[in-house]
Parts: sequence; structure tokens; C-alpha cells
Amino acid sequence: MYVYDSIDKSLLNQRVAEFRDQVRRRLDGELTEDQFKPLRLMNGLYLQLHAYMLRVAIPYGALSSDQMRKLAYIAETYDRGYGHFTTRQNIQYNWIELSTAPDLLYDLSEIDLHAIQTSGNCIRNVTADPYAGAAADERDDPRVWSEIIRQWSTFHPEFSFLPRKFKIAVTGADADRAAIKFHDIGLKIVHDDAGELGFEVYVGGGQGRTPIVAPLINSFLPAKDLLRYLDAVLRVYNRHGRRDNIYKARVKILVQSLGVEAFKSQVDAEFGLLDPVLLAVDDEEVSRIREMFALPFLRADEIAGVRLEETFAESPDLRLWSESNTHAHKTPGYTIVTLSLKPIGGIPGDATAEQMYAIADLADRFSLGEVRVTYTQNLVLPHVRQADLFVLWSELDRLGLATPNVGLATDIIACPGLDYCSLANARSIPISQRISERFADLESQHDIGPLDIRISGCINACGHHHAGHIGILGVDKKGEERYQLTLGGQGNAESAVGKIVGPGFDEDGIVDAVETIVSTYLTIRTAGELFSQTLERTGHAPFKERLYDRG
Amino acid sequence: MTVVNIQGEVKDQLWRSVEVGEESGSLESAIVSLSTLKEHFDASDQSSLSRVGVRLTVEDDVNEIVEYAPHLGLIELVFSQFKDGRPFSTAVTIRRDYGFAGDLRASGDILPDQALFLVRCGFSTIAVPPQFSVEQFKASLAAYSVAYQAATDSHVSLVSDLRRSAVEVAAE
Repeated sequence: MYVYDSIDKSLLNQRVAEFRDQVRRRLDGELTEDQFKPLRLMNGLYLQLHAYMLRVAIPYGALSSDQMRKLAYIAETYDRGYGHFTTRQNIQYNWIELSTAPDLLYDLSEIDLHAIQTSGNCIRNVTADPYAGAAADERDDPRVWSEIIRQWSTFHPEFSFLPRKFKIAVTGADADRAAIKFHDIGLKIVHDDAGELGFEVYVGGGQGRTPIVAPLINSFLPAKDLLRYLDAVLRVYNRHGRRDNIYKARVKILVQSLGVEAFKSQVDAEFGLLDPVLLAVDDEEVSRIREMFALPFLRADEIAGVRLEETFAESPDLRLWSESNTHAHKTPGYTIVTLSLKPIGGIPGDATAEQMYAIADLADRFSLGEVRVTYTQNLVLPHVRQADLFVLWSELDRLGLATPNVGLATDIIACPGLDYCSLANARSIPISQRISERFADLESQHDIGPLDIRISGCINACGHHHAGHIGILGVDKKGEERYQLTLGGQGNAESAVGKIVGPGFDEDGIVDAVETIVSTYLTIRTAGELFSQTLERTGHAPFKERLYDRG
Repeated sequence: MTVVNIQGEVKDQLWRSVEVGEESGSLESAIVSLSTLKEHFDASDQSSLSRVGVRLTVEDDVNEIVEYAPHLGLIELVFSQFKDGRPFSTAVTIRRDYGFAGDLRASGDILPDQALFLVRCGFSTIAVPPQFSVEQFKASLAAYSVAYQAATDSHVSLVSDLRRSAVEVAAE
């Protein structure tokens, strides 16, 4: 794990002091709300429907057990005893008082946490593969590069008042678990023919009202030039991105309007002007950071998997859970465990303070003190011995964190929606709860197989509905909540934007419609065919027929 | 109008702002619009240019001052709104690519909380908006002692250099 040194700590302490002063000036009336707004937003503080909401940054989705304990403490002390893990791998607290927010940020700073750049028109908290440093299919640890980007982007003097927010995601594996092509910049770690480390650079992806899969603008950026290139992209965007219309201000619009080639040549021209030495990624700094992420020696255990098979024979429930909630670790004998924050009928991504404390303890016992947050709103223990799986599973089950549904129908992504958010047009959480209850039966969920249902309460698409196999978008139609249905999105390496099927539904209708789609799939699938494959083979037609031809 | 330097100290007013249509008489020590600059001055007239300043809005094309920049006495970048961060990038371009070494001034709608960012992007003076005090700007400029990234200013260096010197200090 990255550990703050005196320089990181100075910067963070100075930020806490600065924000305390800004809040005092606001409460004293020295600052108007309009002047205070961009300042509080750069500290992750939003004014929502019922209260202030604070979004705490979880850098590249990685937490230590002590940091998780602090998040639990914050939930208990400043909120109503729970927190909400988001599709940006962050955590949000929904019931915050402005006057105590500076104390909250001070408490977070004691454990190297903060809310810097979790909102506002700046470079947001960088996100990455939640299996970083653990996955068998990883080329290089994306946290190393994410940390370098975190430092470079923190209080960047030139790029803190951009046309719009700017999100960067990094993956070190081909199986994209960070949805990099739906970000303003997506970075995939690759090697060139000579074995040198570098990045594929995708620019101008995003969701919202104009969903776009980011085009590749550089097929090999040497790692040393990473910051110089990011600098060039950001400068072109800051100078030429639109500022006249908030809906056309993201970099994706600039890339589309200039054309990929023209955008790329502007970036290249800017890149050429930048000092290659001054902005070079420092080898010593990379080594310093890399060492902090290095794992202790893990003894490979080739037969643990065989023994686990024997345990499965005695405990079919463990097998079921293991099938959906674990993933291959790079060291034989270890596994990556996902803790489902999607209990049947629950609120996706919510965790209570008690659960967070317990997860921190389990991380210490079973996962080298590490926890990760996924953009699909679950938590991960990245380094679990297969020999410990049964005990861990029993503990998780007791805590309500062992729902065996990761990647399945009830592992629904949902934004906070109209229950909390001042931007929302419709509720998301109750829809996800009802769909979850509809598909509660575990055996049938496992029979249905991988199915990605995602719900957003407005076109800003925080619930990533464009990228769901089944996407649901809440809209306001003459004062009534209606739900549009899209099919065919993909949030993985295949990245695709779903298409609208037909007229929308009301609250009851959308739950039935999702069931109709799934039952249609079960009827028409060929042996072993996944939902996304069936959809690709048949297109919308058979689904549409069942959804709308009821006469 | 009060102008402060990068330490937040008040600077004597050596320059006066001349609006479009008011260019009668000498333009010595005047800050003029881009159109006035182009109309009244030749880019090769180095000695006159050193005693004139140009004011650029976010709508002006900064490329039009390339020829003038190395010789100008002052360049003022006007923030139309504090949220519009284009002048930060324009400042970097002017300092780094246009070889401008004179007074680079920020004016317009600026928050005290942006002061350090301005300085780090190469601004040398800031026109304090009437609703804020010099003290607020001074405090904001002193709020941070370290920074993570290399920038156009010289008083904060790259964090990797900072780390090295911290290690050296500890070793001594």
C-alpha cells in the first residue's frame, strides 16, 4: 500500500487547514454560496436534496484495513451509521453538516484519506482495476501508475478549472475491470515488441447524455512520457474544450467535433513543445512507489485448489459462492474474493459501520490488510489463501456479505437516484431492490449466468446504464417517473453502448420488462450461450416482440 | 485597482489601462487591447513595445501576440469568470513557448483561493478584485509550502526533487 511521507502529509494538512478557513468564511458570510461552491466541490462536498453529501476519495479503489476502520468511524460519528460505495470506487456519506465537515476531513487526514478532487471541474480521483497486484492476468500493477497520476493531478495549478470534470482510469490487464474506455482518458498498460513498458491511450470516452466509447489515440506511449502526454491532452482540452454549454463540455465532445486525427495531432504538437526532462516520470520515484505496493513473499500452494474441491463436495453452498465471488490470483493457493454489497432486496453499494469494521478485521486476518472497492459497487479482499476460504465465507455469511451473486442478475449497479440526488429525475434504488427480489432464487440466477443490469436515475448516467447488458434510465415524463430500457451495453474490454429497445415503462412495468427479457433469453439461447452472446446473435427483435406485442 | 506580486505585497502602479477608443496621446505605460496593439505598434519596434502592455480576454487568439511577446513590457490575461480556467493554460503557453519574461498579470474575476495556482502558472502580478482584500490573497499564497508537479514558477520544485532533498537533509 502507498504510505504518505512527510511531503504528502504536509500537503494534506495544509489542505485541511485551508478548507477549515473556507468553511469559516462561508459561515461568516464572507463568501457567497456561488463563490463557495467551486471550493467546497473541490473538497467533495455537494449540497443534495436533504443535506450535504461528502464524497471521500479512495485512490484507485484501494484501502488499508485501518482506512476502512476510519470510514466506519466517519459513518458512525458524522453520518447515520452507513456509507455508500459508488461507481467511481469512492464512498459517499449522505447526511453531513457543513459546520462539522472540517473536523471530518481532519479525521480522514490522520489516516491519509481526503475528499480532494472528488467533484468539481478538475481531474477527479483516478480509478483502476480493483484486482491490481493480485490478478493472474495482470501485466503490471496499475496502482503504481495511478499513484503517479494522483500526485501529478493533485492541485494541478493549470488544470483545476477545466471546462468540465475529467476522469482517468488505468488497467494493467486485457480483461478490463476499470471500464477504461468510458473515461476521459483510459490507460491500458502494455509492452512493446522490445518489452518496454508503456500505455495504450484512449481519449474521449464517457457516458452521460452522449455515451461514447473512447477511441485509441496512442497505441504505445512509453511509460517515461506518461505525465508529459497527459499534460498535452489536458492543455489542448483546457484551451479548446467548449465552455458555453455544460452538456457539450467534456473532452469527448472536443474529440468528436475535431475528429480523432485532428485531436491527436494537436496533442502531438503540444507534446512536442513540452520539456521531456522536466516532465519525465522519475525512475527513482517509480521504484519508491513500486516498493510500497510490493507484496510480502507468498508461498505458492499447488494443492490448495485440490483440497478446496474436496471441501466443495461437502459444502455445495461454498462452491456456488466460490464460482461467482472469487477470481484467479497470480499466486497458486491464493484467490481474490469479492464481498457482495448486493444482498437480495438491499441498497446496492451500502455498507453499515458495523460491516465496515468487520471487513477491516477480516482483511487483517485473511487478506494482508488490504481491501478494494469495485466500480460495480462491491468490495474485494485481494489476497486470500484458498485454505482460508471456508472460514472466511462463513464469517462473511454471518455479516450478510456472502450473497453468491457477483456478475449475476442481482449484482445490480444503481446510482443514489431521486432518494438522495438533486440531479435525479427518478428513483433508482427501489427499482433495483424490486428487480433483485424478482431474481432472488440463487439457482436460477446461476442458471441465467453473467448478466449485467444497471440503473441510472437521470441522463448523467452515474449508474452506468449505457454499459449494462440491460440498462435502465429513469426519466421525468410530465411529472411522472418513467423508465427507458436499453439492451446490448458492455462494460468490459468489449465496451459497447446499449441501444433503446422501445417505449418506456412505469415502475411496475420496468420490473416486469426485465423479467420478460430474461425469460425470452432463457427460451431462445443455444446451449452454453451467454445473455450477451444471444443478444448479439438475435438483435433486439425477439425481445422487442415479447415486450410490446401483448395483443 | 490594487495589484499584488507573488508574495502578496502591493505593487506600485506603473501601468494604466487604456480602453478601446481612448487611445489619444501617448501609449507609454498603457495596457491596451489586442486590436490597439496591432494597430499602433510594429512587432519589430522593440524599444516601444517594452513600454507597452497588452490585455487579452479569453476570446482573443493568443497566437496573435507571438511576434510581440518577447518584447512586450506586460501581458494582462483577463478572467471572464473564475470558473473559466483558460488563462491558466494561456499563461503557460506565453511563458514557455513565447519567451515572455515581462510582467504577466491576472485580472478580472479571480478568487483569492486561486492565487497560488496563478503564480505557479507563471503570473507575476494579480489585480485584486474590489470585493476581496490584499490580506486574503497574501494568506492564500502562503497556504501551501509543497507541490506535487513541476510548473512554470521556480519557487516550488518537482516532488521527486523535494523527496531527494528531504532524504539528504535527514542524512546530514
